[in-house]
Amino acid sequence: MSGEYNPSPEGNPSFLARRNRFQTALVKFIGKRTPKCREVVRILSQSMDSKLSLIMRIKLRLHYLICAWCQRYDKQLHELRKFTSSVPSHLDDFSADTLSPSAKERMKEALSEDRRELG
Amino acid sequence: MKIEGATRAALVRVDPEGWVDEHGDCLYRYALFRVRRPEIAEDLVQETFFTAVRTSGSFRGKSSERSWLCGILKNKICDHFRTLGRETSFTDLEFLDNELSNKFVSQGFWNHERGPLEWKPEAEVVMQRAEFWETLRNCLSKLPARVADVFMLREIEEMETEQICRALNISPNNLWVMLHRARMALRECLEINWFNDPR
Repeated sequence: MSGEYNPSPEGNPSFLARRNRFQTALVKFIGKRTPKCREVVRILSQSMDSKLSLIMRIKLRLHYLICAWCQRYDKQLHELRKFTSSVPSHLDDFSADTLSPSAKERMKEALSEDRRELG
Repeated sequence: MKIEGATRAALVRVDPEGWVDEHGDCLYRYALFRVRRPEIAEDLVQETFFTAVRTSGSFRGKSSERSWLCGILKNKICDHFRTLGRETSFTDLEFLDNELSNKFVSQGFWNHERGPLEWKPEAEVVMQRAEFWETLRNCLSKLPARVADVFMLREIEEMETEQICRALNISPNNLWVMLHRARMALRECLEINWFNDPR
């Protein structure tokens, strides 16, 4: 059994699960020829920073047919990116830190002095 | 004629002292969030204004003044990490090893009971909730500091991976591992603390 796709539980959300003999055969076939989920999540992280080969992208597509979880993971990595990159514009929502009045004064002074120097 | 000239000048008005009042706090929050030390954050904001004065010719008002300043600050933050570098320790890389093991069954497939859940509601809806950003910040703060630095340089300042490796003096392989584990931990943390329990 080792190396085989493990039996699908009730309510497996994947497109292909072991719902009949034909599907079971397909699931096993794809499971043997695409990376295991533990490896897929590592590859998915890499895909956020560099382009994957065409072969690997095809393999992932096939893998998603038998694994809704990895497909979700991929989608969620993209959402995580969207969230994280928006953090600077949402800092007011969770931070009350402000520049002290004296720091602001210092900055203004430095800026006007700087401008005088620049002419 | 005079009035027309004045209006045109006002369109690309450079008012550094005004920036301090209008955008200072916002920029400072971002800087403090990223570098964690008030005095350094303050310096970075000040440098941002200096650079802005010198490059204000390139600002045509196409983007908002704030996002223009924010973009300059992003570069300052990258530079800050570049000068820091050279002292990276990787001892905290084991931070996810144990948590990972129960996610997968021995053959390397998801343990289906612990596989990723479907996230609801949609990202756009979630992003409008102030509490969500607090949850995200809490999750980020649970990452080991160096891992958080690397992850945020990549995702917030959008630094290229090669640049991060050079700036922080880490090997590409270490970088992949750190990014992977940061993403895995954050995904998990958001799922547990937000999507499993949407308020």
